[in-house]
Amino acid sequence: MKAFGYTQARDAADAVSLAHRTPGAGFIAGGTDLLNLMKDGVQRHDHLIDVNRLDLAAVTGTATGLHIGGLARMRQVAEHPAVRKGFPVLAQALLASASPQVRNMATIGGNLLQRTRCGYFRDTASACNKRAPGSGCPALAGWNRGHAVLGGSEHCIATHPSDLAVALTALDATVHVLGPGGPRRIPIGEFHLRPGDTPNVDTALRPAELITAVEVPNSRTATGSRYLKLRDRATFEFAVVSAAAALHLDGRTVRDVRLAFGGIATTPWRSPDAEAALRGRSLTVETISEAGRALVRDAVPRHDNGFKVELVQRALAELLNGMGGRR
Amino acid sequence: MPNPPHHANTHTRRTVLKSTTVAAASTALLPDAASGAASPAAANPGDVVRVTLSVNGRSRVVDVEPRVTLLDALRERLGLTGTKKGCDRGECGACTVLVDGERIKSCLTLAVMRRGSEITTVEGLADGDRLHPVQAAFIRHDAFQCGGCTSGQIMSAVACVREGHTGSEAEIREWMSGNLCRCACYQNIVAAVADAAREVRR
Amino acid sequence: MNGLVGRPVERVEGHAKVTGTARYPADDPVPGALHGFLVTSTVARGEVTDIDTSAALGHPGVVAVYTHREMPRLTVPPFPYPKGFIPLQGTAIHHAGQPVAIVLAETLEQAQEAASLVQVRYRSEPPRAVIDDAGQQPYLPPPFRDRPNEFTRGDASRALAQAEVRVEAHYSSPTRHHNPIEPHATTAHWDGDRLTLHETTQGVNVTRGVVATAFGLPADRIRVLAPYLGGGFGAKGPVWPHTIVNAAAARLARRPVRLVLSRAQMFTLTGHRAEFRQHLKIGATREGRLTAIVETTTAQLTTTEESIFNESDSTSTLYTCPNVHIRQEGVRLDIATSSYMRSPETTAHFGLETALDELSWVLGVDPLELRRRNHTDIDQETGLRIASKHLLDCYTTAADAFGWSRRNPAPGATRDGDEYIGWGMATEAHTFSAIPATASVTIGLDGKAVLRIATQDIGTGTRTIICQIGADALGVPITDVHAVIGDSALPNASLSAASATIASISGPVDRAARTARDTVVGLAVADRRSPLFGVPVSDVETRHGHLIHTRDQARRDTYRAVVSRAGKPVETTGSVPNVPGHSYGVVFAEVRVHARLGAVRVTRVVTAHDMGRVMNRRTARGQVLGGVTWGIGHALMEHTVYDRATARVVNPNLSTYLVPVCADVPSVETLFVDRPDPSSTALGARGFGETPITGVPAAIGNAVYHATGRRVRDLPITQDKLL
Repeated sequence: MKAFGYTQARDAADAVSLAHRTPGAGFIAGGTDLLNLMKDGVQRHDHLIDVNRLDLAAVTGTATGLHIGGLARMRQVAEHPAVRKGFPVLAQALLASASPQVRNMATIGGNLLQRTRCGYFRDTASACNKRAPGSGCPALAGWNRGHAVLGGSEHCIATHPSDLAVALTALDATVHVLGPGGPRRIPIGEFHLRPGDTPNVDTALRPAELITAVEVPNSRTATGSRYLKLRDRATFEFAVVSAAAALHLDGRTVRDVRLAFGGIATTPWRSPDAEAALRGRSLTVETISEAGRALVRDAVPRHDNGFKVELVQRALAELLNGMGGRR
Repeated sequence: MPNPPHHANTHTRRTVLKSTTVAAASTALLPDAASGAASPAAANPGDVVRVTLSVNGRSRVVDVEPRVTLLDALRERLGLTGTKKGCDRGECGACTVLVDGERIKSCLTLAVMRRGSEITTVEGLADGDRLHPVQAAFIRHDAFQCGGCTSGQIMSAVACVREGHTGSEAEIREWMSGNLCRCACYQNIVAAVADAAREVRR
Repeated sequence: MNGLVGRPVERVEGHAKVTGTARYPADDPVPGALHGFLVTSTVARGEVTDIDTSAALGHPGVVAVYTHREMPRLTVPPFPYPKGFIPLQGTAIHHAGQPVAIVLAETLEQAQEAASLVQVRYRSEPPRAVIDDAGQQPYLPPPFRDRPNEFTRGDASRALAQAEVRVEAHYSSPTRHHNPIEPHATTAHWDGDRLTLHETTQGVNVTRGVVATAFGLPADRIRVLAPYLGGGFGAKGPVWPHTIVNAAAARLARRPVRLVLSRAQMFTLTGHRAEFRQHLKIGATREGRLTAIVETTTAQLTTTEESIFNESDSTSTLYTCPNVHIRQEGVRLDIATSSYMRSPETTAHFGLETALDELSWVLGVDPLELRRRNHTDIDQETGLRIASKHLLDCYTTAADAFGWSRRNPAPGATRDGDEYIGWGMATEAHTFSAIPATASVTIGLDGKAVLRIATQDIGTGTRTIICQIGADALGVPITDVHAVIGDSALPNASLSAASATIASISGPVDRAARTARDTVVGLAVADRRSPLFGVPVSDVETRHGHLIHTRDQARRDTYRAVVSRAGKPVETTGSVPNVPGHSYGVVFAEVRVHARLGAVRVTRVVTAHDMGRVMNRRTARGQVLGGVTWGIGHALMEHTVYDRATARVVNPNLSTYLVPVCADVPSVETLFVDRPDPSSTALGARGFGETPITGVPAAIGNAVYHATGRRVRDLPITQDKLL
């Protein structure tokens, strides 16, 4: 790891201002991904701004929803009564993430900013367009079992690893950020960016912007939300495929639904087409499989990850069946 | 070309001196845990900063660069080698310690970030000659073989019991899965954690 | 006799391990030690054309950077140095991750950063990493350690052609890495031409010998210390080049140097289980008696070594079969050196035990019954009767405990909710070694005994069993016995590997302790001051630290009194050879396979093993729990991935090279036959450690077949293969 300077920020404005005027600065909160990236030389900061003492860690249930401070820890959010009651998918996704130790450390803001686990991205001796734009993408022809079948480009097919982001996508969350130009809000669906021609740009965050909070609106779909995560070992692993469903059922009729997926796409993947196949219709084997087909219609399978096209449809069916769909 | 040893030593001394000079300025900005000063800490790249850590109930001072992890501060600077480095990436759990009572992976945090926190390592668990119930249960249930992961398992288990995640075997298995054991004493670890939980509750 | 041997005695080093006071090789404080860090090759095939170390040398705290230009010329030692070359001796690159420079600095952080500043230029050629890409026909390598790679018994091809029933299949498994939790670490400390190494090794003497050869030094100039080891599993059995490179660097720098490999470096510098293909053809009678086995295996070899470690012992020796033809072939690739990994037989054993399951379905014979029909007490290699083999008892005991007789044989017939349930079984077998060793015993003036032997405790319980044996032989409490191991200055012993330790050291420890006991008894009966003066030695027994007249229990003395009166410690040595052999067992596994998602969970395992005498039921059980878990990892998840274009490992970490976590492993019921083997000088014990694992992957695969009707012959069995 390259030597770096260190400053402990007093408050959010101080942190942003420090980041704005310090060349090569980055924020450190939990550090659980950042320090690995820096040890591997994937990210090289000249200066770290420690934001841990900022007053941004509260989780509050409000009249309109949930306000999660950007520095709230994963465990704290997962255990919060308002989260467990009104937003079960969030608690489930968080508890399916990482390990108990990391959940004590990692923050909500940091979780959204964690970077892909693609082995080529994390190996500085390999080519990688996300890390070194223009160097190429070895995953396209190389080992791509963990890679995306949706949302990729000819430059990058790396998946976004966050379970939390998938849950927040199904909950229509909004990310609050503070930057040198002041505060702004970014809908979760616009926060993570597909690789396109700029795979090096993961998110809509601008330089020196800090995630201050995530806001999740109350909804009937949120109350009836669930998360399903499939992986190659029982726990403590990133998703091979995951699915989040926020569902408002009236009898068997789908009043409203939001579906998001992990492990299959370059970003936390919302599927309006799959939702449309269900909304206003009865939740049946047929409508569920129609939704599954809609989800993968544009899938581009590669050498090692073709199974995800089938597996994610089955995961969706499994999840919805458990939520009231018929077998 | 390698530096001849004598040259290397002067070079090193200079580096330390230079660092110390800069660090002196930085140190002034560091809030002393005891004084509770609120001014922000700051250091430049390459600076060595003086950090006061509270480890196992004792105040310990280390001079480290900001990039030094809590794990390396414990092992390499404070001689507390009970905490192990298995992967240095948060993927094995061998470096688990308690910070303010919560289990964390000490390889994924910087020592400089932990000023003012209460840090407990495996060396600080026993009360004199009296082992912590988790330590005793680990011996009783043969919950270790090589011992490479054991410190981390024990620290994780102490927290697991405190968190109340010991309601069933399955719950213990899930909440102890952040600690790899390559010898694979998992079954005995589960038994030890369940047993220690009973004892702690009594 | 206290009768400690055989009892589930708690580990004697337990307190040290649970309090963090046990010092492992990377924990030993070495004053003034520099931190080393290796710079490794980014390319897999080619050569170094230039190395610019100036930026690294200018980095704060850096003391030296050594490349092939500065390193002294060293001699490549023979096995157990498994690598065909020593790095930093020339410019040729044989695999990605090959060390090309070593940086020495005052702190670890400085060494690591400086290593990233060393600029290396390469001329590179397209490498080959996996068997599919070899672009060459597999070939039969020359014998390795005097073992030929082709083995013939009878006329297998003719017998196969004439067989009433035939099964033919291809099995395969990828590269695996040992991944002990403790990384490889070495600290070299020179004093003139004397070298002390604090070394994570499964063999202090082996390390001493190899390093002595490399430096052209007499072995007695080198001392190797490994009081504790944080796991090895074969990875720390051989000596790897980082140890030699680091010692050479320390000599050049005239400072002690500590080098700890990163987890990623352990995927290219410390061996692996080679990628493996197995083509099996089995012929049998309609009753299921094996008449022919023809096996051809292919293993990943390298351009610099051609040692095959994935042995086919089980194929040739486990069952009675008059006609066997085995060829262990390989292809040479541009990857790092492979080596032994916890039970080298496991790869080939998977094919054999899966093929037998396949045969059982073809014949409609219960898989356990099929194995009974092919059981033999005759050594298939020598034709001699095996002195002690209780595999049939293992079958019966474990089958009863598992409830095997209740099995509905039809595949896919048992379902519970969303999951299919399957039961499978496989025989386990392992060849163990026995290596000459000497132990010494010192009884001090305090009457306490110190047992010394240059063996290692790699987590298997060696230290505890030494104390049990010593305490029993002396007739003293185990608390009066202390074992000193892990130091090459101690009486000679060899590797803690090949399941050889207990078979090799038990006899010597017992002999040394008995001799010490007899010496003390002799001192007592010859000493007028002893209550036992004049008693025939045959009438003296030793118990709980006392020497007691067998027919007059009131006449007694103590070790402490006798030795302190004698005024000097009693010192003895013992050396007893033993013979290699086989341990056996069986594993029954239950799996649940999700009907729609294909996910496999192992939910129940029962094992029974015949290892001769069980020296310590706790530590033996630990070996079974470990072996079963390794088998689960082997069957369901472990997989090292090479990028086929660059031959670099894509997943050199523990988040994407998956090993089982606590939640992956069910409780295992571990049963032992526990009958002393009369042919063993190790108090009736046989080598055992690696036996449990050998059958587990096949038992799981066979259970998956029973659950689903799907036969997966390519490991690991991930859920995508069962969709």
